[in-house]
Parts: sequence; C-alpha cells; structure tokens
Amino acid sequence: MRRHWGRSALATLIIAGLILAGCSNGGDSKKENNSPPPSTESAVKAEGFPIVDQPIKLKMFTRIAPANGPFKEMPVFQDYEKLSNIQVEFTEAPTDGFAEKKNLLFASNELPDALFRSELNPLETIRYGTAGQLIPLEDLIEEYAPNLKALMEQYPEIRSAITTPEGHIYSIPGIVTTGSARTDKRWINKAWLEKLNLKEPTTTEELYNVLVAFRDGDPNGNGVADEIPMTARNAAAGIIIVNMMAGSFGLDLQLGYNINIEDGKVNIWSGDEKHKELLMYLNRLYKEKLLDQEIFSHTEAQYLAKQGSGNAGLFFDQTNNNFLPIMDQYVGIAPPAGPNGDQMQSAVAPVPRDFGAFAITSVNKHPEATMRWIDYFYSDEGSTLLRFGREGEHYEMRDGVPYYFDDFIAVTGAQGKMTPYAGGGAPHLISDQVASFINPPQVQEAFKKLEPYMPEIRYANPMFDEETAQKVNILRNDIDKYVNEQSTKFIVGALSFDKWEEFQSTLNKMKIDELEGIYQAAYDKMAK
Amino acid sequence: MKSLPEDAADVSLIQPRRGSGLIRNIAKRYDLYLMLLLPIAWYLIFHYGPLYGLQIAFKNFNPAKGIMGSPWEGFGHFVRFFDSYYFWRLLWNTVSINLFSLLIAFPIPIMLALLVNEIRSKTYSKWLQNITYIPHFISVVVIVGILNVFLSPTGPINMLIEAFGGSSVRFLESAGWFKTIFIGSNIWQNMGWQSIIYIAALSGVNPQLYEAAKMDGASRLRRIWHVSLPGIAPVIVILLILDIGHFMNVGFEKILLMQNNLNLESSDVISTFVYTTGILKGEYSYTAAIGLFNSVINLILLLLVNRFARKTSETSLW
Repeated sequence: MRRHWGRSALATLIIAGLILAGCSNGGDSKKENNSPPPSTESAVKAEGFPIVDQPIKLKMFTRIAPANGPFKEMPVFQDYEKLSNIQVEFTEAPTDGFAEKKNLLFASNELPDALFRSELNPLETIRYGTAGQLIPLEDLIEEYAPNLKALMEQYPEIRSAITTPEGHIYSIPGIVTTGSARTDKRWINKAWLEKLNLKEPTTTEELYNVLVAFRDGDPNGNGVADEIPMTARNAAAGIIIVNMMAGSFGLDLQLGYNINIEDGKVNIWSGDEKHKELLMYLNRLYKEKLLDQEIFSHTEAQYLAKQGSGNAGLFFDQTNNNFLPIMDQYVGIAPPAGPNGDQMQSAVAPVPRDFGAFAITSVNKHPEATMRWIDYFYSDEGSTLLRFGREGEHYEMRDGVPYYFDDFIAVTGAQGKMTPYAGGGAPHLISDQVASFINPPQVQEAFKKLEPYMPEIRYANPMFDEETAQKVNILRNDIDKYVNEQSTKFIVGALSFDKWEEFQSTLNKMKIDELEGIYQAAYDKMAK
Repeated sequence: MKSLPEDAADVSLIQPRRGSGLIRNIAKRYDLYLMLLLPIAWYLIFHYGPLYGLQIAFKNFNPAKGIMGSPWEGFGHFVRFFDSYYFWRLLWNTVSINLFSLLIAFPIPIMLALLVNEIRSKTYSKWLQNITYIPHFISVVVIVGILNVFLSPTGPINMLIEAFGGSSVRFLESAGWFKTIFIGSNIWQNMGWQSIIYIAALSGVNPQLYEAAKMDGASRLRRIWHVSLPGIAPVIVILLILDIGHFMNVGFEKILLMQNNLNLESSDVISTFVYTTGILKGEYSYTAAIGLFNSVINLILLLLVNRFARKTSETSLW
C-alpha cells in the first residue's frame, strides 16, 4: 500500500500553482488599486464605538485549539460584533496541521482579510510581507491602534521584536505584561516533601537527592514504586526539560535561541562545556529513573493527566489550572543552583510573547477598521471581554478585577469553549488586570520565588531581512534538528559522552559560527 | 466534444479507402475512441498539465508573483539538498527501507497465495484469506496506535519478555528496531490483500498440468516449483516492476506517525523531510526540487528493471 505521496503532493502543489497563475494577474492589478488606501474609508472613526457606521464584514483565518468551541458562539465575538459593527466570519483550522493549512493559504494566494491567532514565524512574516501578501501595519498602528501604540511605547522591546530591518511591521504579537505568564513555574509535591521529611531543594545536588527519595520512599504510600519523580512537557520543537534546567548551568535563552549574551557578545552555547554538564546531569537523572521515562514520547494529554494525578514529584507549568482539585499538594520553588553556583530562570518568554498573532492581508478592503478592531483587545477592557466573557454570566468584578464564577469554572471544558485565549497564541494583552485565573495567589507565590532569577531583559527573536532570514532558516534547519536529536540521545544514554567532541565538530561543520555572526549583527542593531 | 463523431463520420464517408489505417480505424470504431477521450483528458489535465509547474523547482517560488513570474534560481535548490547534512542519511533510509521491504515483504504474499492454493478444504482456505486480508482495511493511524500500545514499555509484548526473565525493550524509541517494526507491521497488514492477485492468477493455471505432474510422480513441492510458480511468473514480474516504479516513495504517513527524536537515525526519509521542511515551513521550491529528484530516480529504476525483465524473462510492461 505505498502511496504516491511525493508525486501527488507535487501534483497538488502544481495544480495550486496553475490556479494561482491564473489569478495572479488579477491579484497584481488589485494590489495597484490598493496601494493608495481607498478613500471610501472615511467612515472609520478614529476612536469610540461603533468603529464603522455601516456594518462591514471581514473574513479571518484562525486556529482552533482542542479546548475551544466554535468561534461564532463565543460571547466575545458576538458582543464585539454588536459593539463595533464589524462582522467577522472565521475559518477555523485545528491546531493539528495548522502550519500546513496556513502556508497553503499563502501559496495558493487565496487570502482571508486577516489572520487571527496565526503563529506566523519571523521568516513567514518577512517572506509574505515582502511578497506583498501581508500589508505593512506601522502607519495603521500609529493612527488606529492607540492601545497597542501605548504598549509599544511602554515596552520598547516590542517594537524591536516585530519591526523588519526595512522598518516595516507585518504582524502584531500577543503581548504579555504579567511576568508570571511569561514563564513556567516549578511545581514540587509539597505533600511528598513533608511525608519524607525533606526540605525544598536549593541546588541541583539537593534536587537529585529529593528525587531519589521520591523514587524510593514510596511517598504516595501504595507500596508500589510507581511515583514519577520528575516530568516535563514533550514539545515538538526543542526539549523543554533542557530549557527548564538550563539556568542552573549558566545557560540563558536570549533572542529566542540557545544564546547567552555576555558583555554585548552573542554566544550560541549548543556546543559549550556547560551544555554538556547539563546534559550529563539530565542523563544521570534519566538513567536512574528519576526523570519520567516517557518524557520524550508522552502526549500533551498524557502529561496533563500526570499533573492532575498527584503522582508526579516535580513538573513545570505556567499555571495550576491543570491540577486545581489537588492544588494544595503542590508549591512552587526557585530554580536550583548548579554546580558552578549558577541560578537562573532561563525559560522566560519576552513581553511580545506570541509572535505573529495577527496580520492583515492585501485583499483586505478595510485595513483601518481591521486595525481598530484588533486594537481593542490590547486594552484591559477588550482583553477582559476576550478572556472572561460577559459580566454577570461568566464573571464578576471583585476589587475591580474580573473573576470567573465558581460554578462556571466548575463545568469541565466550559471555560475553554467560551474564550479564544484557551489554547494559547491569541492576539491580545495579558496584563495583571485580566490574570486572576491564570495568576491566582498560589501561582503568584510560585512566581515570586522565580522572579529574582529572571533575566533583566528578554530579547525576542530578532527580525532579519528576507535574505538573511532565509540563510538563518537553512542553517537552523540542520543545526536545530541535529542538536535536538543528539541531546535527546545524550539524555537517554543512547549516545555516550565520548562522542561530545564529534558533536562539537559536527556543529562547526554545520557553520554554527556563521549563525552566531548573524545573531551578533542582529543584536548589535537591536542594542543601538 | 459533440462535433467529433460527426467529423469522424464525414471522414469515413468522403474518403472511405484513403488515409492512414489509424484514421479509418477511428472512424470505424469511433464509439470506443470516444470512451477513450475521458481518460486521455484526465491524463492531460491532471498528469501532463501540472508538469508545467515543475519549473518552480528551478525558481524561487513566490506565491504573489505566480509560477511564471517567480525569479529563476537554477539548480540552487538541488545543490542545497545535496549539500544538506542529512542528505546521505535520508537517501540511505529511503533506499534501505524499500530494499528490505522488497526483499522480505515482496515474496511473502506469493508464499501465502501458494499456501492458500494448496489447501484442500474450501471453507478453511476462505477463512484464511479473510483473516489475512482484513487488517488491510485498518487505517494507518489506528495501526500506529496499536503498535504504540503493544510495544510500549508496559505493553503486552514487554510484559511477556519480562515474564520470561528478559528486560523490557524500548521498541518505539530505538533506531535499531524501527525498520523491523515498520516493515513487519506492513507485512502483517498487507500480505493478505497483496496475495489476492496471485491467488487469482493461480486459479488460472491449467489443472491438466497439475494432473500430468502428479502422474509423473511429482511431489507437492515439485508441483509448486514446476507448475504453480511458472504459471504466475508473469504476474510476479509485472508486480515487481510496478513496485520498483515507486521505489523511492515510502509509507509517508506511517513513518511520520512513528517518528521521534530517538529513532530519527533510521526513520528520517525523504518524504518526511519534504513534509517537515517544505510543507510545514512553506518552502515550495525546495520541496519541488526534492520531489523531482525522487521522481527521476524512480523513473530510472523503472526503466532499468523493465529492460532487465524483458531481457531475462520476456515479460515486461512494454
């Protein structure tokens, strides 16, 4: 049963191309018409609601997470349609296979008016922006996005993270000013610590001993050694456990990559001795079954089930939402100090956390209205509507801060169905004002222990020009794949550390210095 | 479309005896040729027409500019692929998975067909056929799910191994086991289905030949060897050629589903590479170049094997 996959894929591509070639003339002429913004847009008000007097319709492409219900049934979009006079029709693509659908959308040039929660990466943004499929937004932001503009003034790193070297902004990110929402907490099983008479570990060696005790001491008291001492998410890109422990070995994660910045010098540490130390430590944990043996194979659902089971000793998550019924069993701890005294919380997202969350395409006839439409979600008021739904139905105000009703949140899945932020990546502002659910007292406490160890400033993925971005893409395709694959093997012991020099020399062969040079240049530009 | 039969009829009326044989033939059997039109149109529109888009393999495809408008790149994408660190690994995995499949999985349906053919009891042989070909209808996702359950460290296979005093094996997370599991489960799933055509061919073998062989005192094995196998040899050769025609294409979905960082060493094949770098990251030109490379190798292999088969066994596709 061999499928002619390659051929049919090619054929599909080519057919898509054929159709597209037919359309391309039309597309070009449309663009010409578009370049001077249509003057009929005078109906768009610079402030206040409704945004337009005559109702307009927009088509948006969006990602729908497993937790979400249909977007048209979400209170935020129903209410906002009445408020703004803008009707949005969503095309929903499931998280699984989303990247594929998104890219085919651009390849076939059958564009929606805007992309909502689109997870465009910098390369895609630049590629489609330069090609003219996404329109530059910097002037629109200036005039029609007061909330976003204010945020960009308050946090200058937002602008540098989304502006191309030519000075264009082709997509806007989800913005997170709540520090706690930018990093995963380290949840340790307090009940087990107490039962075994242990203290919170403060160094990596103490952590090792605590995990050994979790493994051997039968803290759950069922007489079987079925405890999972430590576990972490299994992500498609990157190795979460490495990122979480990196700070204890002096490794930072700047510029959205394995990068330390010391005295203005960019250092990609993938081949460094410190990285080896970290991997050796993790290898020791894995070998002695202190690290979840399924850490590289379990699914997201399985991982969340482990959180909720209360049978895990230490794991990482931003909130306690997944183990609310047993939340008292867990407490957040600070990052442990490593063998060289390093103590950092490295896995911290930048303020513009969700890059490429929203973009406007060239077929959009109402870019001004669209910009005003999205800008609302960058205000506390709009974000409250997006995250909490209707006052009196889904939430109430306590001390000026919205809280979900207890009986609403008690219904399994109801919250995820109600708001498009569940599942991540929605273009909006997450500030302390709207964080009561993701940042309850227990999470705040856990965050307080991490805060002193967070980097002063977290540089986001830099924006390159198209040619450089393509070069980075080619280099990183090979390098990232190699680093991930070999690191995984080092950790599980499928590859011995004798091979470390070979690992280093292969990285050099893959031109890691060239990559470092490119990042250095980008950083220099940014720091100016 | 409609005008054609009339034209054809005219030709036959005006010049009944002149013109080439083909035209006369068409005029005479225009109804049959009419039926041929649809498949020809299908091939032209969906198989030959798209060849025009192949040019994006030599271009930097930019969707906004279209296929014709995109700038030329030459052989850059091919060079990038050949220079890629993973090129040799991809090639080796693709070739070796297919080679092992061909060596191991190809003969098994033939043996199964011979076995079924030799069973005297009709009911029993029908039973056997049904049971062996039912797995064919299970979807790939479910098959991989079954593999995950059975081969997990806490699954039945490992429990058996531990019960006999062995230590559990991480089948799904080791490069060494990947090809065995992949090919083995393919055989399990498809041998029944693939044997159907051989069983059909076997039923066409003249029974007199068996009787004659029996008279001459040939044993069962001898009869299989000298009567059954030669009887279905042309079918075997044709299927072998067809199989080799898509030698470089492996079961893409299944491999993608089974892939993880720990078995990537032996599970990384060209088609999954195309998917992860091309489709997911929107690099259509690069992907098209790799796809073209793949197809060219397939074509070369097909031509070689066909020629070889024609020389040695006088059976070939053309």
